[in-house]
Amino acid sequence: MPSTLTLAPAPPSAAAEQVRLEVREFLAKELAAGSFETHVDTWLSGVDPAFSRKLGEQGWLGMTWPARYGGHERTAMERYAVTEELLAAGAPVAAHWIADRQSGPNLLRYGTEAQRREILPRIAAGECFFVIGMSEPDSGSDLASIRTRAVRNGDGDWVVNGAKVWTSNAHHSHYAITLVRTAPVDTANRHAGMTQLLVDLSLPGITINPIRILDGGHHFNEVVFEDVVVPGDMQLGEEGAGWHQVTAELAFERSGPERFLSTFPLVAEFARRASSPAELATLGRLSARLLSLRQLSLRIAAALDRGELPDIPAALVKDVGTTFEADVVEAIREVVDVPASLDSPDPLGRALAEAQLHQPGYTLRGGTNEILRGIVARGLGLR
Amino acid sequence: MSSDQDLVVQTVREILAGHEPAQLTPDRRWDAALWTDLADAGLTGVGLPEEAGGSGGELADAVAVVATLAAGAGAVPVAEQLLVAGPAVLAAGLDLPPVDQPLSVAVDGAVRFADGRVTGTTTAVAWAGVVHHLAVVAAGPDGDVLALVDVSGLGSTDAANLAGEPRGSYVLEGLPAQVGPLPADLRARYALARAVQLSAAAETVLAWTVQYAGERVQFGRPLAKFQGIQMQLAQMAGEVTAVSALVDAAVQRLERGEPLELAAAAAKVRAGAAVDVVARLAHQVHGAIGFTQEHRLHHLTKRMWSWRDEAGNETTWARVLGAAVAGADPWPVLTGLV
Repeated sequence: MPSTLTLAPAPPSAAAEQVRLEVREFLAKELAAGSFETHVDTWLSGVDPAFSRKLGEQGWLGMTWPARYGGHERTAMERYAVTEELLAAGAPVAAHWIADRQSGPNLLRYGTEAQRREILPRIAAGECFFVIGMSEPDSGSDLASIRTRAVRNGDGDWVVNGAKVWTSNAHHSHYAITLVRTAPVDTANRHAGMTQLLVDLSLPGITINPIRILDGGHHFNEVVFEDVVVPGDMQLGEEGAGWHQVTAELAFERSGPERFLSTFPLVAEFARRASSPAELATLGRLSARLLSLRQLSLRIAAALDRGELPDIPAALVKDVGTTFEADVVEAIREVVDVPASLDSPDPLGRALAEAQLHQPGYTLRGGTNEILRGIVARGLGLR
Repeated sequence: MSSDQDLVVQTVREILAGHEPAQLTPDRRWDAALWTDLADAGLTGVGLPEEAGGSGGELADAVAVVATLAAGAGAVPVAEQLLVAGPAVLAAGLDLPPVDQPLSVAVDGAVRFADGRVTGTTTAVAWAGVVHHLAVVAAGPDGDVLALVDVSGLGSTDAANLAGEPRGSYVLEGLPAQVGPLPADLRARYALARAVQLSAAAETVLAWTVQYAGERVQFGRPLAKFQGIQMQLAQMAGEVTAVSALVDAAVQRLERGEPLELAAAAAKVRAGAAVDVVARLAHQVHGAIGFTQEHRLHHLTKRMWSWRDEAGNETTWARVLGAAVAGADPWPVLTGLV
């Protein structure tokens, strides 16, 4: 295998196993107290700011960041264990998910000292939520074709016009890290001339319009910018370095266990009743796939701890992982006869319905599997 | 991989370079010359302790030997000897036969042990007709035992797997045997050995396919430049990487002496499940030449199609794994497995 695709096995981490047990105990208590209900794909749909604040109080947000920014200086392996436990339990983690996973690390890498001191402690406390401002109505996989523009005014501030879409939970969030074009397209280098801005979603000129997904849920939005004045000191990183920064951000976005655990609550519901040889075989096959993905994802966490940014292995894991989480629905349907319905009296029927109605998203969000395979192909030396 | 294993891999590769894989037939059941070269280099005893007659070294070294031979389609019983039968014989407290004499394992069939002798039929024996000794699972008066028998003078049937590797039966008629307690993880070790072989073979098939796609020109471009081909190769890479990570994790579990069965089950299921995707896409990309015995591809794809069935197929091991995971709280079970 080319070394671009493979990573060394993750060394065992006693600290990660310890915090895993702490999270497990916390979640059991919260479930027993009725503070949340298990659902599928809760890192998209489970918005619960109060729950996010509780996680912040436990020290489980901003885990790997420096203490001076409200972080806890834990390892990526420890953070991995925490996120895995939350996802497996189907806990409501959507409010803070993007901020904790990628916006915070992006600020740490590219933010100014003032930006970090202002924002990172609030993210770590579970009080400040972010959305991803990348895709646009006419720019999906071809991200370099974005048309949202920002131009400098006389005060050195940026004036933004355009629209971003699929901005999950923008209506509950405080900031959007927004990729904008700050120089005309250079046909010789399409990746030049883009910049990331830290946009406060309460600024005048911003309109947030809901876009409902298949199950009727309101998570996605269109965020429209009309002459929005973003202060010059809210530029994130270098002017013109937006593409490079987005690439780094995507390595975080694509690396985690949410890329194979979105449908785990369905697997767990199935496991509770699996008893026939066919059901056990299906459960075993799904388990083997899941275990292989855990190993790959753990290797990425270990690589992050080594200071690497494994963007190509992350693309590979996301491709294999999201294929798995999408396959779960059909695999279970093949051995049980429970109609998928959000109104089903059977929890398995409800979990099947949730997983099915969210299924088209798994292999699209964060980069379609076709885009990811293109990245893997580059890792194989094919392009 | 440590520098010790790098050296082992290098040595095995150098030996393999002098032994092109050949189509196996009942008249040419294995690569005896390859075995002799490996034995002369001490590689047929890697991972088995020197005091027992082995060559010493770690389990990881033995795994490296097995993986390298699998990648080179070496027709020798090294996986069975180094990873399954050899360790089982020692775990049962029996004397390891000389490691330059091939040893295999027999887990299927109906064999009884009584009064120092084994009787019955053992089926689907890897390298039947080739090996000198066999570690046989037999039913003793007080439960199953591991019986070590000399089968060098015994005939076997000519059954073979899809790659022509011998998988015949022996009829044991009161053959003298040493016996010891049956090691609990024998079948799991066998499954893991096959998973190690599958992982190595799949990785090589991917490398061959990437290479071929870079060399074969159609419509004025190498196949590798077509996006459709790139998608297929990336999908293969995903499977190969996933298999390799899980197999590595199961091997590490064995190294640490932790319970193996479920980790081995998962590794065998995952490796077996990847075979269809990897072999199918490899053949698709190779086109018609890959469908012939003139091209090397078949040496590995035929082995992969067989190895996934051997030592328990995906369904068998998935049921074992599924039974362990089923229940009120599957998540802690899964996170405790590898």
